Amino acid sequence: MKLKLTWLLTLFMAFVMQFSFAQEKTVTGTVTTADDGLPLPGATVIVKNTSRGQQTDFDGKFSLSVNVGEVLVISYVGMKTTEVTVGASNVYDVALEADNALEEVVVTGYKGATNSAKITSSVATVKAESIEQVPITSVDQMLQGQAAGVNVSTGSGQPGQSATIIIRGRNSLNGDTEPLFIIDGVPVDQDNFRSINQNDIATMSVLKDAAATAIYGNRGAGGVILITTKTGKKGSGIQVKYRSLYGISELPEPKFNVMNTEQYFRFQRDLLPGDQLGDNLSDERIAALTRQASTNWSDILLRQGVTESHEITVTTGGENSSSFSSIQYFKQEGVTLGSDLKRFSFRNNFNANSADNKLNFSTTFTGNYSVSSFVVDAIRDTNTGGDLDNPFIVPYIGLPYLSPYNADGSINIWGTGPQADGGSGAYNADGSINYDDVDGFRNTPFIALNTAALGTDEESEIKMVGRIAADYNFAKNLTFGTSFGLDYTYRERLFINPPGSIRSFRTPSDASEFKGTQFESYYRDANFITNAFLRYDNNITEKINLNAAVFAEYNYANTQVGSFQAYGLNPALPTSGAGFTPGDTTEGPDNDEYNYIPDVGSSESELALGSVFATLDLDYDGRFGLSGSIRNDATSRFVENRDGVFWSVSGRWNIDNEGFMDSVDWINTLKLRASYGVVGNQNVGSRYQGLQTVNAFSGYQLGNAYQLGTLIDPAIQWETSNQFNVGLSFGLWQNRLSGEVDFYRNLTTDLFAGKLLSTAGTGSGSITTNVADMSNTGVDLQISYILLSKSATNNWSIRLNANANYNKNEVESFPGGFTGNTLRIAEGRPANTWFLPRWAGVNPADGSPLYLDTNGDLTSEYSASNAVYLDKNFDPTYTGGFGADISYKGFSLNSLFAFQADRWKQNSSLALIEDTSFTNLNLSTSVLNAWTTPGQITDVPALSNGSLRAVDGDRYLEDASFLRLRNVSLSYSIDKEVLEKTNLFTGVRIFVQGTNLVTWTKFRGFDPEGTTASTFFEYPVARTFSLGFDLTF
Amino acid sequence: MKKYLVILTLATATYFVGCSDQLDRFPVDSLVEETAYNTVSDLQFGLNGVLGSYSYNYIIGFNSIFTDNTRVGVDNGGQDTGFGQQVLNADTGGFSFGGGVLWNSRYSVINDMNRLLVAASSISPGATEEDTYNNILAQTYAFRALAHYELLLYYGIDITDDSALGVPYVDYVSADATPGRDTVGDVLAAIDSDLDQALALFPAGTNDINFATPDFVTFLRARIALETGDNPGAIGFCNQLIPNYPLANISQYLGMFNEDADKTEVVWNYDNVQGANAGINFFWNFSGQGPKWEISRELFGLFEDDDIRKTVVLDDASDLDDDRLVIGKYPINANTLAINDYKAMRISELYLTRAEAYAKAGQFTLAAADVLAVQEARHVGTPDPIDFNNNLGDAIDVIIQERRLELCFEGHRYIDIKRVRDITGEGIIQSEDLGDCGGAYPCELPASASEFILPIPQGEINGNPVISEQQAPGY
Repeated sequence: MKLKLTWLLTLFMAFVMQFSFAQEKTVTGTVTTADDGLPLPGATVIVKNTSRGQQTDFDGKFSLSVNVGEVLVISYVGMKTTEVTVGASNVYDVALEADNALEEVVVTGYKGATNSAKITSSVATVKAESIEQVPITSVDQMLQGQAAGVNVSTGSGQPGQSATIIIRGRNSLNGDTEPLFIIDGVPVDQDNFRSINQNDIATMSVLKDAAATAIYGNRGAGGVILITTKTGKKGSGIQVKYRSLYGISELPEPKFNVMNTEQYFRFQRDLLPGDQLGDNLSDERIAALTRQASTNWSDILLRQGVTESHEITVTTGGENSSSFSSIQYFKQEGVTLGSDLKRFSFRNNFNANSADNKLNFSTTFTGNYSVSSFVVDAIRDTNTGGDLDNPFIVPYIGLPYLSPYNADGSINIWGTGPQADGGSGAYNADGSINYDDVDGFRNTPFIALNTAALGTDEESEIKMVGRIAADYNFAKNLTFGTSFGLDYTYRERLFINPPGSIRSFRTPSDASEFKGTQFESYYRDANFITNAFLRYDNNITEKINLNAAVFAEYNYANTQVGSFQAYGLNPALPTSGAGFTPGDTTEGPDNDEYNYIPDVGSSESELALGSVFATLDLDYDGRFGLSGSIRNDATSRFVENRDGVFWSVSGRWNIDNEGFMDSVDWINTLKLRASYGVVGNQNVGSRYQGLQTVNAFSGYQLGNAYQLGTLIDPAIQWETSNQFNVGLSFGLWQNRLSGEVDFYRNLTTDLFAGKLLSTAGTGSGSITTNVADMSNTGVDLQISYILLSKSATNNWSIRLNANANYNKNEVESFPGGFTGNTLRIAEGRPANTWFLPRWAGVNPADGSPLYLDTNGDLTSEYSASNAVYLDKNFDPTYTGGFGADISYKGFSLNSLFAFQADRWKQNSSLALIEDTSFTNLNLSTSVLNAWTTPGQITDVPALSNGSLRAVDGDRYLEDASFLRLRNVSLSYSIDKEVLEKTNLFTGVRIFVQGTNLVTWTKFRGFDPEGTTASTFFEYPVARTFSLGFDLTF
Repeated sequence: MKKYLVILTLATATYFVGCSDQLDRFPVDSLVEETAYNTVSDLQFGLNGVLGSYSYNYIIGFNSIFTDNTRVGVDNGGQDTGFGQQVLNADTGGFSFGGGVLWNSRYSVINDMNRLLVAASSISPGATEEDTYNNILAQTYAFRALAHYELLLYYGIDITDDSALGVPYVDYVSADATPGRDTVGDVLAAIDSDLDQALALFPAGTNDINFATPDFVTFLRARIALETGDNPGAIGFCNQLIPNYPLANISQYLGMFNEDADKTEVVWNYDNVQGANAGINFFWNFSGQGPKWEISRELFGLFEDDDIRKTVVLDDASDLDDDRLVIGKYPINANTLAINDYKAMRISELYLTRAEAYAKAGQFTLAAADVLAVQEARHVGTPDPIDFNNNLGDAIDVIIQERRLELCFEGHRYIDIKRVRDITGEGIIQSEDLGDCGGAYPCELPASASEFILPIPQGEINGNPVISEQQAPGY
């Protein structure tokens, strides 16, 4: 009915105009944002169905000559387009409302921002608001819980630690599983973001299906993450912002308990068979010892780390150019001594265009310097987690009866007297150092303190990412563009084991006169990209738009590493080469032993990729769209199969734009998408995977030696991912409820895996080549609901959002059926599936362990042959996040929860402290419940069984699912009107924030997250409390 | 605006000129196989690679930890406990002594040797290089024979039966071969042929004990003869070498296992040097001599006090009061780097080999004399005379026990028990009373146990459909 009325009205007006003179007049107005009432410069105001129009000026004002009855169309990117019919008034102030998700622009590869209605692929967008001012120091970690199908795990709580991201399920077994990261058009190292300032980021787009990723050819199979940094807005003038943040970090509450001194000695005396320190102690003596020391080593080793950030940004916007600049100082301390990150970041982004808008030019550049200090954590270098100077092993195994303090109250970093006297064994009875025991198990807490206090393990990094791009609309419908980009990382590592520290006693050797070692390495990684394209964009008919482009691109990477290690340091000349003992120094009884020969190393590798590719996008009437892409990639990594062709086709049907939908008021957006394509993964094996190498090394008698490198298949090629996606985007009730549902099925073929060989016949057990197949099938759901939105009468806004992914991974074919022992890749099952004998508790009759055999019957015999597939997998089946953004007047409360579910890990840390055969380590309080009497029901076997760790089956396979309150912040923005009176500020926001505040999990450790399937004293991710403010001038 | 177009076109053209050549990239840090071997000295590099990866870690570690020579040490943090518990199946190939399981390690080095022979066939040595070239080939043949013999010994179904299934004999380079087990007879014949080739190629005067020598070949033949039940053969080969190598006296013996100071009785010495060191000590001990594995109390109790071997086997870090028996046969030495050669072939072994062959041939007096000769060399005092009363069982008990004392931690114990278990009727027996076993550590592995033939690793079974039908019984 309403519709008919409109038509009638239009008809009527047409008549009116026929019979009257056009009443031309000049109207003026101000365009503002409905949200905050601020003027909106750069908004477009045109007269409908004409080419007349202009952009609003700095103050959001416009002035146009129009006829009464004409319609003004006011539009701005990211805002709802509004129409106003010119009537009697000469002033038209328009407040544009923020557009809801579906009308927003989406950044996709090689195309830049595109109206989301025209997108045919599956893309998730994370915006600046959820990234800014969160004290998580690696931008990839920021994605946790933010986008459906993006599984983010972090292996260590070291500040700056890069996350492992898997999009829509593990897509490779031995190759790279992580997405390609692109910052402003420049592919960057996916494992190093610690120097990058995340506050510079405007959006992160996660490209999930082939329609979006095939254009990245043989690097796109794991998805692509496009990071776009901020730019100035044209015509916005100069804006200066100062932001500051201060926070403290601490470890999450452990979900295990270790014994205190009293428990420990009573346990030794009353329960534990064999001879121990506690055996003959009286209750009084135990009480006395407990009074002397009952140390909770967590309190000593761990600290509250401070986070501090200061940042100044300047955005400018003139008529034909704009810029964004930022400088930031950021410091974050880890939760243990000697772990921190300090960085200084600088960015300048500049855009300019010619007055006629035909030539565009842009540069982005970020230069950063960071210094990281590391501890001996589980994932660094070749550490195992079991290293005795790992600070995170100490809360588990540090003996409670050792006092952490010296007599003067300072922290003891050496240890205590002889073990027989209840000491840690660091000293002999005469006070001299006991070199045999000072680095033994009992001295663990002191070794960790000693290394943290005296050792140095530091990396300083210079990281630059930059790009220069230009395009020129040189003829009607034709644009030519080119760009040059660079990702450069230079990293120096300095590792010092100083003379006099516990770890120096055996370095370079027990008998050497001079001690200690210094290692330095110099790493330089430079990645270049050049690109040129020609684009044709034309409305062929009124309804058909054609956009096609051809590209040529060349990527080149060069990595160089040099290193040296010197021995025997002079403590008076720390870090200086003058303090190194000369390599030709000899010692020993015959003066013929060389202890100080330095180690040196140098290495270089290259990778080149030459590509040509093309895209095609067709739009029919805004209702149908068809897109296609094709890319030929030639990589230096492969020799015989160098060239790969990757492609995609995709389409959409914007049902909401169909005529028959006009009567359906409650549906505002409804779009059906489908895509299919073939994407590759070349990041497998070495950079010279196609060449059979012979390695040179030091062989028998330290002679120069040659030996065949890893056996290779010369016909090796990329992994191929065949990806199908169908999705529905919807927006209901004025887009109050909006979201996307996607179903996908990706079949990866030619997976790199070991083709099994006979070692007898070939000398190698397997050859890595393209042999396995694996599929990922799943559903992504992203949904948002606006419960309340602000209006003239309502000060509240509440928006709920959630995303989730269900993914079923299956190894479709694998040579030999499976690989791995307890954690397997097995045909017909998800990758990383557990295969273990089943632990069945404790026999109440005699306290011995019970197992299930393959038939599920109880047995008291452990046998590896009773292992079964447990249907428990390391990779989660469900991931996602949800949260709420609530605001009232100037206050806003934003929260994000992240979860991973159906995920199983071995808890080897707990297994160690439940192994009562270790009399040099503290133990879990759970072993106090060990079986002692027939008939007793308990889950801890009789202690007489000794160590059961080798025969514990799935006893320590634990559910590592978790739900985490990833971030919650409460902020207050001071009212604009109040600020105006200051004549200084245009925006003031203050906030308090908690990051990783609470984690709900069954996993019995510090942190269920991690990236290793078998947890062993990893550095847990910290909880951080922060407060800060943003001042805009 | 035209000028912009020109600039952009020129810039782009510059980028892409010569782009196609940019895709041929060769490694900087390694060689490419086609061009690696050009000269005799390249072949020498190849031989250094072969010998450098000819690892005895597995044999030394396995023969001690799997048997009654060790018990779990006070500082064991789970290292190799599976082997201590005699868990042996196709999956438990992994052994923390580096180098992987014996099967994979030996066949991998055999592959390297075969590739070296292929490379050598295309190189013509100059006149001055002839000896070097021939020696490289001789070494390669000798070690190829040794490698196959060791595989046969551990994995063969029955080394004493020529018609039984042995192991594949591999003398070719292939990218996809899936060989089945050759018969024991065929393997032994091929070993013999390789040894003959080596003998023919050794340049005159080859006598560096750090490499294969003609005496190395004879020593190996003596071992093979004893294992295959060829007692006259064993006696004959021993007779060839024993006169040329005196048994070390007490001080020489002490020197042999301290600082590698004496090599009097060594026929083949695997030379470990700083930077290329197998670190034998660390199979059982952490640095600082914290023991992962200790000398079993039973073994230690067998040494008499005047036996120099008792001094050698026990490390200074031991604490007898605390019952901490640290293995010290490969001590940390003055420089504390614990660099010790592996004395892989010592003449005392041949005395005991000949004794065993004599005993098996019924010549008990001669057998007793050989045992006594070793005892006399090792004891300060005069050992009691030995009489086997013409009883093979008694003789074998004494000879094998002497081998245990003489050759412990040198990679023999498991093989010795295996070889004579038909005579003694005993497998691996450990003493629970002394605390050497118990709990998860079994006290007896019966003589009939399938664990006396090592399983073909699962990887080989998976990758080789022919041999997968030929797994050793019981796995």
